Amino acid sequence: MKDFFDKALLAPLEHLGGQVLAVLPNVLAMAIIVGVGVAAAWALGHAVERLLRVMRLDELCNRLGINAALARGGVKADPSKIVGRTAYWMVVAFAVIAGLGALNLQPINRFAQSFLAYIPHVLTGGVILVAGYLLSNFISQGVLIAAVNAGLPPARLIANMSRWGVQLFALAMALEELGIAQSVVIVGFGITFGGVVFATCLAFGLGAKDLAKDYLERTLSSRPRDRAPDDIRHL
Amino acid sequence: MGSDAIETTSSSRQQKPPVALTPETEFRVQAIGDAEILVGIPSYNNADTIAHVVRAVSAGLAKYFPGRRAVLVNSDGGSSDGTFEAVSRAVVDFSALLVSDHQSPLQKIITPYHGIPGKGSAFRTVFEIARRLKAKACAVVDSDLRSITPEWIELLLRPILEEKYDYVAPYYLRHKYDGTITNSIVYPLTRALYGQRVRQPIGGDFGFSGRLTEHYLDQHVWESDVARFGIDIWMTTEAIASGARVCQSFLGAKIHNPKDPASDLAAMLMQVLGAVFALMEEHDKVWLDRKESMPVKMFGFQYEVGVEPVNVNVERMIAAFQLGLEDLAPIWEQILGREIVAELLPLRASAPAEFRIADDLWVRVVYEAAVAYRTRVMPREHLLKALTPLYLGRTATFVLETQGLTTAEAERRIEQLCLVYESRKSYLVERWHGRPQV
Repeated sequence: MKDFFDKALLAPLEHLGGQVLAVLPNVLAMAIIVGVGVAAAWALGHAVERLLRVMRLDELCNRLGINAALARGGVKADPSKIVGRTAYWMVVAFAVIAGLGALNLQPINRFAQSFLAYIPHVLTGGVILVAGYLLSNFISQGVLIAAVNAGLPPARLIANMSRWGVQLFALAMALEELGIAQSVVIVGFGITFGGVVFATCLAFGLGAKDLAKDYLERTLSSRPRDRAPDDIRHL
Repeated sequence: MGSDAIETTSSSRQQKPPVALTPETEFRVQAIGDAEILVGIPSYNNADTIAHVVRAVSAGLAKYFPGRRAVLVNSDGGSSDGTFEAVSRAVVDFSALLVSDHQSPLQKIITPYHGIPGKGSAFRTVFEIARRLKAKACAVVDSDLRSITPEWIELLLRPILEEKYDYVAPYYLRHKYDGTITNSIVYPLTRALYGQRVRQPIGGDFGFSGRLTEHYLDQHVWESDVARFGIDIWMTTEAIASGARVCQSFLGAKIHNPKDPASDLAAMLMQVLGAVFALMEEHDKVWLDRKESMPVKMFGFQYEVGVEPVNVNVERMIAAFQLGLEDLAPIWEQILGREIVAELLPLRASAPAEFRIADDLWVRVVYEAAVAYRTRVMPREHLLKALTPLYLGRTATFVLETQGLTTAEAERRIEQLCLVYESRKSYLVERWHGRPQV
């Protein structure tokens, strides 16, 4: 009976205890890494936020129209806070992955490796999106001003189309960078962009036939413009 | 401010290396040695008109400065229409002009200029040659002038040589609708800021002393936009701000080759306003404390002259303003503030009979734009170009207010505007110091 008790009950428990004792240092290491990581993330996030406030990032973003865009998207936090929180969560993510790595389990190690390899793509995609957004604002503002100065009534429409065109292009580039449905993105972008251009041409040709005729006449013909003379000299 | 009071600014304390000249020009300059007078003519494809300008300059120098060593410099931007040959061939029949004493033959230097293409780079080469020749008095005249006479040369140079002035600005008789950027912005603003009533600060034809030439060359601006454009307002402002003695000369009517007036007004306005606002930033220590303005001495016999008629399409200007108000209001709010845009909003549907941008409102628009330029509320090119519909609205107002008035009566209207600029300068000073709009 004692033999049975030793073999059937104590041996598995001893084996389990041995396994737990073997893993326990790794678990402890993971807890320490995650704990220190979270503390470091909190400190870094806080420092980044303070630093950006001192550097007046919020005012710069306000001038660039980023604050207004965030507000339109329902984001109430200011850019300094967002960047600080991003830094916090990035360090936390690294700490968690490093902590899981300390457990030395094969599936987790493979996941950590592929996650770390993917991070540069995520960062590049993010940079592309932010740069695309800023560029689209700059271009659409320039297009709007130029269109108004050229006396084109659909100035706002033209400016909005230029904004969405650039943002669409940036989104396609970012998705391609992330490797998300690459062929679908490229084909989708091509179809959408081509469709927009084609639709614009059709709309201009059909809807604004007289405007197109007048524009081409003014551009290509050397005969004087049919309008009241204006030879005011500004300088 | 005496004649020995040209101040060095922070940008001019270090002597600049000499400007590069072509070997042929170097040789010509060395062969000539020195000169008392130098007249510069910048050009780019002006074969049609430059010969007349060269003849007028030659006749003026022979008639009014016969005993002085004089040099004519044509600084060319790579013309391909025969401008070079036109300058070389231009000769004057002195006997027909009753000029008896022309014993000092006029030396001509025809040279390309180096650097960024533009009138400013052409002037830099003229200044450098003047410095090497140790010229006491210099003048520059545009190469597309049709109304230049020999008397212009006397009027631009004699105040320098005999009255010890450092800078001679031109005074032209112009149609009331000719030079509307000058009349509505540049003249009143320059006068209010720097306290001197120089009526044509961007006239294009100037006289200046050798010492002022040195001062110009020593500035750090020749790789900037001044080298391309804005050289005229830069020369005038720099002369005033440096404490040089400034006067004006009455030159009569200015008639020059017509350019397409509609050729990119936005770019033109951007160039001029950009230069004015940049100079405001550089010289704010000079103008922040100046109050009121002083008349500037005028030389020359003043007379009435018929000016070319100018056709104006007011409805189109108003339509351009209203389109701007419709589409650019958010951008204007960033530049000018909500209060000013709110004051403009009632003009959205105004008929021409009621359309007016009041003097006070216009002055605040200009002052707020200057402050916004300084604080970089948006890319500066966008800011300056976004002001075009506002300028057209103000020009339409001026045309509507002065319809039926003589040129002299319209001039009084400009004087009223100048007084508003001066009386509201305290507003600009407060906003410049960062105080919020009242």
